[in-house]
Amino acid sequence: MNKTNKILRYISRRLLQGIPIILAIVVLNFFLLNMADGDAVDVLAGEAGSATPEYMAELRKKFGLDQPLPVQLAVYLKNVLSLDLGYSFRHDMPVAKLIIDRFWPTLLLMVSTIILAVGFGILLGLLAAISLNTWKDSVITIFALITYATPLFWVGLMMIVVFSLRLGWFPTSGMENIAAFYEGFDRVKDIAIHLILPTITLSLFYLALYTRMMRASMLEQYGLDYVVTARAKGVSERRITFVHVLRNAMLPVVTMAGVQVGALIGGSVIVESVFAWPGLGMLAFESLFARDLNLLLGIFLLSSALVVVVNLVVDVIYCFLDPRIEVN
Amino acid sequence: MNLTKTFSAAILAASVSLGGFAANAEKAGGSMVFLVQPEPPSLAGYVTTSGPVGLVSPKIYEGLFDYDNDGNIIPVLAESYSMSADGKTVTFKLRKGVKWHDGEDFTSEDVQFTIMDVLKKVHPRGPNSFKEVSSIDTPDDYTAIFNLDNPAPYMMRAFTGYESPIVPKHHLEGKDLKSAPLGNNPIGTGPFKFNEWKKGQYIRLDKNENYWGDDGPYIDRIVGRFVPDASTRTAAMEKGEVLYAAYNAVPNIDAVRLKDRDDIGVTTDGYSMINPMALLEFNTKEGPFVDAAVRRAISTAINRRFMIDTIFFGYGKPATSALSSNFKATGLHAEMPNYPENGDIAAANKMLDDAGYSKDGAGIRMKGVLDLIPYGEDWRRGGEYLKQVLGDIGIEVELRYEDVPTWLKRIYHNYDFQMNLNYFYQLADPVLGVHRHYGTNMIRKGTHFVNSSRYSNAKLDDLLRAGMTQPDEIKRAAIYKEIQTILAADMPVVNLFELEFLTVYNTKLKGAYGSAMGAYSSFSGAWLD
Repeated sequence: MNKTNKILRYISRRLLQGIPIILAIVVLNFFLLNMADGDAVDVLAGEAGSATPEYMAELRKKFGLDQPLPVQLAVYLKNVLSLDLGYSFRHDMPVAKLIIDRFWPTLLLMVSTIILAVGFGILLGLLAAISLNTWKDSVITIFALITYATPLFWVGLMMIVVFSLRLGWFPTSGMENIAAFYEGFDRVKDIAIHLILPTITLSLFYLALYTRMMRASMLEQYGLDYVVTARAKGVSERRITFVHVLRNAMLPVVTMAGVQVGALIGGSVIVESVFAWPGLGMLAFESLFARDLNLLLGIFLLSSALVVVVNLVVDVIYCFLDPRIEVN
Repeated sequence: MNLTKTFSAAILAASVSLGGFAANAEKAGGSMVFLVQPEPPSLAGYVTTSGPVGLVSPKIYEGLFDYDNDGNIIPVLAESYSMSADGKTVTFKLRKGVKWHDGEDFTSEDVQFTIMDVLKKVHPRGPNSFKEVSSIDTPDDYTAIFNLDNPAPYMMRAFTGYESPIVPKHHLEGKDLKSAPLGNNPIGTGPFKFNEWKKGQYIRLDKNENYWGDDGPYIDRIVGRFVPDASTRTAAMEKGEVLYAAYNAVPNIDAVRLKDRDDIGVTTDGYSMINPMALLEFNTKEGPFVDAAVRRAISTAINRRFMIDTIFFGYGKPATSALSSNFKATGLHAEMPNYPENGDIAAANKMLDDAGYSKDGAGIRMKGVLDLIPYGEDWRRGGEYLKQVLGDIGIEVELRYEDVPTWLKRIYHNYDFQMNLNYFYQLADPVLGVHRHYGTNMIRKGTHFVNSSRYSNAKLDDLLRAGMTQPDEIKRAAIYKEIQTILAADMPVVNLFELEFLTVYNTKLKGAYGSAMGAYSSFSGAWLD
């Protein structure tokens, strides 16, 4: 059996295995979320300032919140299996539409963050490892240590103060200039400018992580037997570093990046909040306090599916990075 | 910086249709971005009174009246009204030539439908405001006659576009009011038309070119932006990305820093019909605070001035009775004992000694839990101060801070609390905003922001009823004086201070400050310099 076929079979099997995992996550989340006191009606009525008990009972009936929990769960699961994520009563919109609207900004932020963090992380880690114990190594290590230890919201606010208020290079927040109504390429440019500060802020933390990891991983590989063998064979240091060591040292970084994609959706809440970026993290955060459970479950469903898929992608990338690893 | 009366009067003259007075300084055009925080759940201002909805919906929907900063009526959809001698028939003459944003004519049918079928049924406060309205006659398209069971003087102050928005009958009739498409695609008569709502980002309104008013609207677009983080909101204000931020969207701590700038102004105007009051609610049925003497002692100990100055940066007025001093305008407010501005620890200690609560070896008389309203840091600091000051009179306090749904459930559903730091909107009349806190009929399990103390006093109930229907101002004032006297003695709720919300604005924005509704007004007269 050839390799491509093998990989395809592997992927489809993993995807099938993912379905019960995702369903289990949904059920678990459903009960966890229902353990919180108060429901969506309490919040809506609380925000409204006052409401009659009849009004609240009517709302509960309409939202299906007057049903016993197992019935609510059965209804929800039935809907999910028919690919219907339900209705957000708070937003008065289908959950799927809300999530998709907010998914693109999240994806944009996530992808640019991963590229920046993984790219520069690998580069800086590599640079530190090959310049071990020189001033370059020290500068990179200290930089990584500081960015790793600094709280994200503080970095975000300082970015705004310095680059937006003092220097005036970037807008403070938002995804686009909403008073300008740009179209076409102008709009792309406008969104790109708005994307810069949040991306840098969010990637700093991960960048530090990957730098440190890459550096350690490179140093570890340098000490292994195959490097000694390569040197003995007279392979140039350059070739050893870039062809042999680098490729192997990247494995842990890729693993870590895969695991963290899931965390990035949630971890961007702070950055989304500081920069008013209209992503999923903020939506999840607000839905929690609004007890908008349908919406929250939908977001969890999407992120668990995303984690399953990304982990699969990472496993497949392994085989290309290291031919010794085989899928089976 | 407070806007002076003269300034607001000048703006008012320019913003209401007084033809000859209309100043010629207004410039047309431009986009006005302002802060809406948090993102509203919907734009159905006829179903919810939620704050962020109030920031947007009154630009689209109008009421019969607006009110100026002195409480005088400004005609909007109604040009005038007359009241019969017994106060039971109120006739409104409606404005002619007003069109809904979809081009249909606005008529008395819309008014009748809005009050009888919408506000009286699904609005959170409508059933109270229009309690006495039994029917509305529409002899012609531009006359609406309200028939009342009893006189309702307070109703005349509930006609703003925020409190009682008039909605199009032809879009709601026969539909489920709470889920009708109108909720997310509003169609009103106001100076701005709904254009787009980008969830998580902004709501955009466009100028209504067919608006009935001669003066305004001037601005081409109004965009309400959602920015979750308070520091970022301040930065956006500093950078001029947003021009208007009301209801403390820019927190006091930043507002006091920004107000010295030439391009930024800060005002406390525009909240007199909202009338927010910070207060402590007590559980009067169980727990350590069932004795009124203890509650009086607590009220006596608290240094209200200190709370205002240190926690709210000087914005606020010490409470002097159960009613806000803003009710002085209608003669209803009377100063009462037991509300010392600077607190009196010695007197409070003596009150507790006299009531028989003695200190133990550690100086503690009793223990209690204080719940804090989960609406931000200021209230946590307020709680920390209260813990300290109550410690001084021998009451050991434990603080509890939960998220909104949990807190609402605890206080208004389970009554599982002893003492709760909170604030209430007293609104334009005590009947609308204060009665709900004290009446026996307002002990409603599961309803928020009503009588959670479960205080019940038959004599007070009679007085509240009398105050509701008494049309004579002097007699009404006497009734409310008695109400305040009873509440100053029983204190199921200890009023702390009148909150002064801040509006921070860019001085480029003019003409948005004439209405008593402030940020909840229509902005028809607003323009950009």
